Amino acid sequence: MRLSQPGNRTSSSVLIYVILLVSFQVFLLTIAVEAFADDSETLAWSSAAVSVVVAGAAIAFLRFLRT
Amino acid sequence: MNTSDTDSEMHEAVPTWKRDFPYQAASEEEVTRREFARYLVLGASSMAAANVGIAVWTQLRSINVGEPRAVVALDTLAVADTHLFRYPTDADPAVLLRISEDEVVAFSQKCTHLGCVVFFEAEEDRWHCPCHEGNFEAATGAVISGPPTRPLGKIDVEIRDDGMIWALGQVERS
Repeated sequence: MRLSQPGNRTSSSVLIYVILLVSFQVFLLTIAVEAFADDSETLAWSSAAVSVVVAGAAIAFLRFLRT
Repeated sequence: MNTSDTDSEMHEAVPTWKRDFPYQAASEEEVTRREFARYLVLGASSMAAANVGIAVWTQLRSINVGEPRAVVALDTLAVADTHLFRYPTDADPAVLLRISEDEVVAFSQKCTHLGCVVFFEAEEDRWHCPCHEGNFEAATGAVISGPPTRPLGKIDVEIRDDGMIWALGQVERS
């Protein structure tokens, strides 16, 4: 039986985190469009702020990813 | 070793699915996990930029709330009567309701759920959207039931001394 290496497992976990963060970005984009339709500036800016933080987190995760 | 032996060895080496579907792409390139993740992060960053762009657009755009104009004479409407008109542009259906002798209200006729046209139900004293059974309060446009989450778009109206009802502009939501 082949066991996966710890490094491999870390890379897979990081990749899963990144996929989750991208899914969250899609959700935030729908919130932004909803805020635009509702002319809700507060919601639009809140969504943008969280979206930037999430993008930053995704970039930070990339550093931990091996090939 | 004869030819049949060599053939059987080759058959064993090649998986069955590959023998059944011997498809070979012109250039099969491997994408590493890191490259794949980089594309994802690029997508996430683009979405964040789009999100900020939408926020800026929401902040800076100006919404046409309409210019004051006469709509209809008060004495042509009985209590609980409605009058259809267009406001603030000809593409925006609106409806005016006389709720008492000296009180009128007006709303955008577009349901805030998916934009169907609402109409007044006098027996229930409410605005009703037939598409998805959304209901709004007659006097305020607040949601009573159904899928809409936002109230109807309100239009400021007043009765002037000459007996005409004037639309003054759409009420901006905070």
